Amino acid sequence: MAEAFGVSLDIFIMPAHVTISVWNTDRTYAEMAQRKTASCGISFDLNTRLSQLSWEVADNRLGLPAAKERFERIQVTKPTGKWEVLILTGFANAAFCRLFGGDPFAMLIVLVSTLAGYRLKQIMLEDGRDVRLTFLCASFFSASLSAGGYIFSIGSTPELALGTSVLYLIPGVPYINSVSDMIYRHYLCAFSRFLDAAVLTACLSVGLCTGMLLLGLKWF
Amino acid sequence: MWNDIFVNIFEDGFFAAIAAIGFSSISNTPRRAYLTCALTAAVGHAIRYVLTLPELGGVHIILASTVASFAVGMFAVLFASCIKCPAEVCFFPALLPMIPGMYAYRTIEALLSCLYHSQEEVFVHYFYLFAYNGITCAFIILGMVIGATVPVFLLKKLSFTATR
Repeated sequence: MAEAFGVSLDIFIMPAHVTISVWNTDRTYAEMAQRKTASCGISFDLNTRLSQLSWEVADNRLGLPAAKERFERIQVTKPTGKWEVLILTGFANAAFCRLFGGDPFAMLIVLVSTLAGYRLKQIMLEDGRDVRLTFLCASFFSASLSAGGYIFSIGSTPELALGTSVLYLIPGVPYINSVSDMIYRHYLCAFSRFLDAAVLTACLSVGLCTGMLLLGLKWF
Repeated sequence: MWNDIFVNIFEDGFFAAIAAIGFSSISNTPRRAYLTCALTAAVGHAIRYVLTLPELGGVHIILASTVASFAVGMFAVLFASCIKCPAEVCFFPALLPMIPGMYAYRTIEALLSCLYHSQEEVFVHYFYLFAYNGITCAFIILGMVIGATVPVFLLKKLSFTATR
């Protein structure tokens, strides 16, 4: 893409900032810019659109003003509808419970507790609450609801319902990204992403343990 | 017996596909990629299930996850250009059902239990659970990412031009 604009690029990626230096062709003059990365959450849709834009610039020699206009349009891309995500996540976690050997009762319990917990997560994030507190509360809520299966002995695998009811909160993408960064030797980013993911996992564990402790259930 | 195994493999793939679609929607995956993600996840999870079956050798979960992720990566790279999405958009959601979530939070639970119990024997038991779950979780994820990334580099041209 840089080649299409007749420049060369050096990109320096840090956990919360990006530094770009743009060089002229004989590398005698450079402009540098440092920006904070946008906190827009994970969006594979944005990744796809930006990748398509970069090929359009490289192949079709899209000019800078047109590329900028396309970039601004991409920035306001709407995320997936919240109800769609809520329902798909509920079914996903119920399916996950089945993968661990849960029976239909456990799947139903996980579906209900995931719908409730994920909705709480959406509401708290919309209200601008801290993401760690949100994970703790959502996990506590889901775990307390699914513990009902254990307390009232519903189905033959209530312990699986309880164990899988909070798995929708596991930050899978940051964990994968962290190892991916490590492979590319971006150790600072890798460490930062790993710690972020580990803190969120700790929050969901604390929520789960608090729920179990309050309801008088054994941890293991 | 084989009939049951085939039904279980199909079931495993089917539920992994549903899980992949749901978890991918959290990360705003384009809708046109749902089917590819689901198929890729189904193939990957079913391979891992087959490899870990005691009847078929009972491969360790770390190695099984690495091999399954390699298959996920291959599928993702081959089909990414059909849906005009980067290969990562297909294989990240497909890997999500294989993320060892239970190992991850059981590591923290065991750590909290260490603090809760001061008797040496009980403490050592929970510390063992902390180390076992943590190490297993870390190596599964490491194996998964290496397994899924190798095809991206093996088929470099195909994977980097998927959105062209």
